[in-house]
Amino acid sequence: MTARALREALSQANGMQRLSLILMVVFAVLIVAPDLVAPQSPLTVDPSRALRPPSAVHWFGTDDVGRDLFARVVHATRITLGLVAGALLLSALVGGTLGLVAGFLGGAVDLAAARAVDVVLTFPPIIAGVVITGILGPGAGNLVLALAIVYMPMFFRIARSGALAESKRTYVEAARALGFGGASILFRQVLPNVLPLVLLQYVILFPLALQIEAALGFLGLGVAPPTPDWGAILEQGKNFILVAWWISLWPGLFLLASAFAVMVFGRFLQARLGAG
Amino acid sequence: MLRFLVARLTSALLAAALSSLVVFVLMRTVPGDIVAQMLGQAGDASAAAALRGFFGLDRPIHAQFVDWLAQVLQGDLGRSWYQGKRVSALIWEAFAVTFEVAAVTLVLATLIGVPLGVLAGIVEGTRLDAAIQTFNLVGLSAPVFWVGLMLLVGASAVFGWSPPFAFMPPSVDLADNIAIVILPVLSLAVLQAAAYSHFVRDCMVAELRRDYVRAAIAKGLSPAQIHFKHALRNILIPLVTFMGLILIQILGGTVVIESLFSLPGLGRLILSGIQGRDYPVVQGALLFVVAIAIVVNFVVDLLYGLIDPRLRP
Repeated sequence: MTARALREALSQANGMQRLSLILMVVFAVLIVAPDLVAPQSPLTVDPSRALRPPSAVHWFGTDDVGRDLFARVVHATRITLGLVAGALLLSALVGGTLGLVAGFLGGAVDLAAARAVDVVLTFPPIIAGVVITGILGPGAGNLVLALAIVYMPMFFRIARSGALAESKRTYVEAARALGFGGASILFRQVLPNVLPLVLLQYVILFPLALQIEAALGFLGLGVAPPTPDWGAILEQGKNFILVAWWISLWPGLFLLASAFAVMVFGRFLQARLGAG
Repeated sequence: MLRFLVARLTSALLAAALSSLVVFVLMRTVPGDIVAQMLGQAGDASAAAALRGFFGLDRPIHAQFVDWLAQVLQGDLGRSWYQGKRVSALIWEAFAVTFEVAAVTLVLATLIGVPLGVLAGIVEGTRLDAAIQTFNLVGLSAPVFWVGLMLLVGASAVFGWSPPFAFMPPSVDLADNIAIVILPVLSLAVLQAAAYSHFVRDCMVAELRRDYVRAAIAKGLSPAQIHFKHALRNILIPLVTFMGLILIQILGGTVVIESLFSLPGLGRLILSGIQGRDYPVVQGALLFVVAIAIVVNFVVDLLYGLIDPRLRP
């Protein structure tokens, strides 16, 4: 996108889209340089200043063991959003590749893959997440695995239907006639045409996966305790909700703001791709 | 249509059986079973072996699964390893709670979400539309349990009131039951009303751009007639599909909300079953959730025929 096209898109953007852009820039800064924004340690415990309400020293207040909440919430940005981004990437890679191959080859491969996907889809996403992390145990690795599995069917379906539609187009027929192999046609010709669909799906699913990540953290099935994570901080704040509301307020607001920003961006992309 | 329904039901049942198998194998291959939890780390080896024999955990997994499946097909979900109660009884008790919350939420979300969405669709592009869309996106972005937490804070700060934490069935004490259920329902309803309104708005906007609407305007029909007699009727099908989707979403969403408000519902049953490695409870409750999803989808398919005569068999 050239600078001029960017300026044009910005001038046409409505208030919600501008807000979403600002929020995304803010979150990018928090991800890249959390120490610059929140110089205090997110891990240092100090019982003498436990459960302090927001003040000039501790903007967001402190938690039950006296950790600075501003530092914890800011440092959690990279962890929470990173986990979701990584899990969805894994999901898109595996689910997208499977869908691409299944849609292109069809037949028994397609049928077998579709059955496997149906199994995951029998459960509502949050229940599938609870079952997987509950059985495998808490921890960042299992959380990523659970989120990746839960969203794999969506990537599978979108890549499959894309590959199915593309494989009937004339250019594939032409490539076949020219003697190109199946793998070469699939990855060099079909893939570039299906990729935008998968990328759009990634953006659309991101806020949903973020909600599930937070919910699992809130249930104690996410990242291990001292590590700052929005869902995990909310789980901790739950026990002090009526004495120290600030522990719960901020991580929730950050979750809301990041999900909102990505959701608006997804809608914008959808409209753009739909029109063009 | 009938053939389509049968095919869908068959593939759904197949998926349910497969997902039971996956959960069954997964639970039994991951380290740490109920015996380890009962006896602790330094448990007596002979006692552990005896307990595993009692629960049938010493037999090959495939034999255990075949036994369980045979039992289920006879309508018996077994007994809880912890409480000794029938799993089916535990599920019904828990489902009564979850169903109450889900049903009230669905009604509330529909009553708020659909009119909002229709309104936003009609006034597309105006400030009112933008305001409703902002509500939708914020509602969709807010974590359900966080809304619940903030409602707790708000109720306590404004009214000096907080809900009782022991569940009371509506048949025993309706006032107490409402006091317990109101916050969980409100937190779920905000999200689902936003989802509903978001979806309905987009449907309405797309519908009002169709040719028949232009023809109706040209014919001189009043806006009310166009909006409610024509457009709304035509978006009923996606609306009903979405209602099914939302109902399943609410059932899932209750897992978190039940844990927050200490409601003894289906989600809590599954969660505590998993944490206690109470395999029959987990297996039975998950099968029940899958069955509900199948039934909801089936009913949605049947409703299509009622709404649109062209889809009748």
